[in-house]
Amino acid sequence: MGLIQRIHEKFYRWVDARLAAQPEIQLRQKNIYILPTRYGWLMLGIIVLILIAATNYQNNMGFMAGFVLLAIGALSIFYTYRNLRQLKIRTLKPEPVFAGEQATLAIELVNQTEQYRASVGLGGNKKQLKLLDVHPNGIQTHQEIFVGVKRGWFSLPRILITSVFPFGIFQVWSWFRSPYQVLVYPKPIEPPLPLSDGAVGDKDGSQSIKGSEDFYGVKEYQIGDPLKQVMWKAYARERGMLVKEFEEKVGEQQLFSWQAVAHYEKELALSYLCYELIQADRKGIDFGLQLPNQSFELSKGNKHLHDCLQALALF
Amino acid sequence: MQAPELNIQREGIIPMLIAIQAIVLFPLWFEIPVWITGITLLLLATKWLTYKFEVKLPSWLVLIFVFSALAGVFLYFRTISGRDAGVGLICLMYGFKLLESKSYRDAALTLFISFFIMVMAFLFNQSIAMGLYLLVAMTAILSGLVALNSIQGVKGIKHLGRISGVALLQALPIMLVLFFLFPRLPGPLWAMPDSSQGGTGISDSMSPGDIGSLTTFDDPAFRVKFEGEIPSASDMYWRGMVFSNYDGLTWREGARSPTRTANIPSYEPLYSYRVQMEPNKSRWLFGLEQLAESPKGTFLFNDFTWRRPQKITSQFSYAAEAVRYEYQGVALSEFHRRVNLQLPATGNAETRQWSQELYNQSGSTNDFIQRILNIINQQEFRYTLTPEVLEDEVVDGFWLGTREGFCEHYAGAFVFIMRAAGIPARVVTGYQGGEYNPYGDFYLIRQSDAHAWTEVWIDNQGWVRIDPTAAIHPTRVEADLRNRANRRDDWFSDKTIGFDLPQDFLQKLRMRWDAVKSFWDDSLMSYGQEQQNDWLSKLGIRSNQWRYLGYALVATLLLSGLTLGFWLLRKSSRRDQIEKYYELIKAKLVKFGVEIPDHFGPMALLELLSAEHTELHKKFATPIKYYIKIRYQTESTHSADNEWIKRFKAQVKKL
Repeated sequence: MGLIQRIHEKFYRWVDARLAAQPEIQLRQKNIYILPTRYGWLMLGIIVLILIAATNYQNNMGFMAGFVLLAIGALSIFYTYRNLRQLKIRTLKPEPVFAGEQATLAIELVNQTEQYRASVGLGGNKKQLKLLDVHPNGIQTHQEIFVGVKRGWFSLPRILITSVFPFGIFQVWSWFRSPYQVLVYPKPIEPPLPLSDGAVGDKDGSQSIKGSEDFYGVKEYQIGDPLKQVMWKAYARERGMLVKEFEEKVGEQQLFSWQAVAHYEKELALSYLCYELIQADRKGIDFGLQLPNQSFELSKGNKHLHDCLQALALF
Repeated sequence: MQAPELNIQREGIIPMLIAIQAIVLFPLWFEIPVWITGITLLLLATKWLTYKFEVKLPSWLVLIFVFSALAGVFLYFRTISGRDAGVGLICLMYGFKLLESKSYRDAALTLFISFFIMVMAFLFNQSIAMGLYLLVAMTAILSGLVALNSIQGVKGIKHLGRISGVALLQALPIMLVLFFLFPRLPGPLWAMPDSSQGGTGISDSMSPGDIGSLTTFDDPAFRVKFEGEIPSASDMYWRGMVFSNYDGLTWREGARSPTRTANIPSYEPLYSYRVQMEPNKSRWLFGLEQLAESPKGTFLFNDFTWRRPQKITSQFSYAAEAVRYEYQGVALSEFHRRVNLQLPATGNAETRQWSQELYNQSGSTNDFIQRILNIINQQEFRYTLTPEVLEDEVVDGFWLGTREGFCEHYAGAFVFIMRAAGIPARVVTGYQGGEYNPYGDFYLIRQSDAHAWTEVWIDNQGWVRIDPTAAIHPTRVEADLRNRANRRDDWFSDKTIGFDLPQDFLQKLRMRWDAVKSFWDDSLMSYGQEQQNDWLSKLGIRSNQWRYLGYALVATLLLSGLTLGFWLLRKSSRRDQIEKYYELIKAKLVKFGVEIPDHFGPMALLELLSAEHTELHKKFATPIKYYIKIRYQTESTHSADNEWIKRFKAQVKKL
């Protein structure tokens, strides 16, 4: 068993090394594999049995049936192969997630041909395949979910695309990898004590902190806006991507530094900082981050938050 | 690599499996014992009920049923090997397998076994109807497999049925290539146990009534195609067996052995022909008299009959020649003289005496024979299928008493009389005549053409065929028999009786159908090593035939595979124009100075335009939206897609 497992691992390492990671992959002869399934072998056995019986009983109907099956078996190579052939796989850039959340990779199966693609299985794991039909000139989207991702860059694993349609006697498959990585922020955890020591500047507006989440207005979505503020219900009603805007607090600012959490365990410290950054962003105040190797000036906005969180993620 | 395996509890999968099993078992239900048919039906019903009411049968109960069914088969057949027991057993196991099917694996197994079950039905029947049924059953099984492997399941059956029908049609030409080119073996791989079913046809002994009972069977016995000259139907005596052993009631085959060509008199060929035998579950072949060189794989016996080592259990065809033996100066061996003079020690004393008296009055053997034939013709000898049944002293009772009977009465009595007078004689059975089919250019010989006649040894003439039945005066032949016999053009010697059969539409139709059946049986169902040899030899390939067959097989398969493959993959390689048009849009935007990042899909592009290029957005939004609609709207039907594609193209062209 050990040996087989080692061979397995070695084989998949070899496969991974060969896989070109591109956002768009065209399946073609070069990267599509095909082998009989165990039912394919069963069918071959039955054909042999039929032909032996036909020879023995000099039964030409038996020969005919056996040869028809043989022909269908052979043609199945084409039937199955054309299910994946010239199919385009497009992976979309995944959104950053917080540690402990699940990362999703949106995969689009783009069929730019007249061929109906039936029951194409897609998944990271051969036991959890999601089967999809892709119409001629159609696109099917699949959200591949990865759980238990850790802080930092999460490399997306190899994904299997496969099909046994129509008769289940041949399996055609290919592997692909997304070129993207998922940025995993630390898990936000509320610190037991507020990290106030790093705060600078006046706190005039501090009494209005609670009112900071006052609904202010609606604007159209622009890249960089927090996804949490997108009005998804409106989006679902096809009113476009709208974003709720909150009243901005002017003049309040907060600077978070590594010093304030350095005495905690590293991951926990990062989690606390993460939490505070998010809270600050919610409040709409200017915030900054000081890490031993990096520091961010006081600023606000989504890009700023993302930059800070990325620094934490990669710390 | 684990294949995706779908759940079979999806809607409609189980009822579909039940239906397929019923379709596959249907032809067998008429062949297997009734109780097995009953159990398979019961199993199907049980499966349906357990599905419908979502109950689960305890596995021990199923196990008990399985074992009792097994025991039943064993008790019924007294064996579990052999064709009939085997078929019964497999049918039962097939039913049980479906009953306990829970997973994809079980379902796939039952479906693949279905192919084998279907072929088992051909052991009983290889008719054209069965061939058509094969197509139906195949389509059903293949559709089942497609439904099993498709997320659409049974709901997409229309679409799925098309896939399997098309697959079957595409497989047929390849099947034909394989069928004709695949090297065939001359015989079975191993000897088969005798089938418990008897065949129809004449039997290996003759007692009064045997052949008479056959005349009611219109089943075909064999078909004959002549090459070159054709004898008249009244001369068509299809020799099957020779009976020289008589025990007072039954005629049986005497001592006989395969003969060597050196031991037979010289002969000259008369007619050449090809026989297409129906399976008759016996070993003898029929040939046009006289029989000489035996067809391939068979033996010539010293009574000039042919015999095959194995029983004819499936369509079997052979080429042969009718010959005329030259007996000048050939003497009958002492052994054969004794065999063909054998009579029971006692019994039928009156006929013996009658025969000797008549012989003494005759000038020669020929004269003696002529006198007897005249007696049959002139006196009150009648030809009927329903003669009075005689218990003992059969010959006396018939010849000197009832004087009514069928060919075996006449042949038997005639040989008895000859032997009583010291002339070697024997009974020959087989068929006489044949119906010409103009559409297929062949003669059909039916079971009802079964006949018995005699051979008498006359010095310097050898074995001479005498048919005492043909000597009966036509007015004394039963009316419906006369009609039948008239097919053998003026077989009963008086020509005035004969009249043309009405050539009506139905009869023509029947003959056409018979021609089709003959093609099916003759060209397809009896195709074998011999036929393969034949056409290869005609092409000039006499040695290394298998190698050439191999070459031809590989070449045709490669060629047809490649063309078919190209054809099958055509749809998946046709790059659609929609993408081209979308590229066009993007190219235009780039011209207008829009920078489109590589990973931007159409949605992102639309957002980009609306945010940063409001002017361009006005112009380009509609075609891009159409593009999105076409690409992402997967639920729409195909025809609606086409409508959208048209609009999209028109929009892009307007830009």
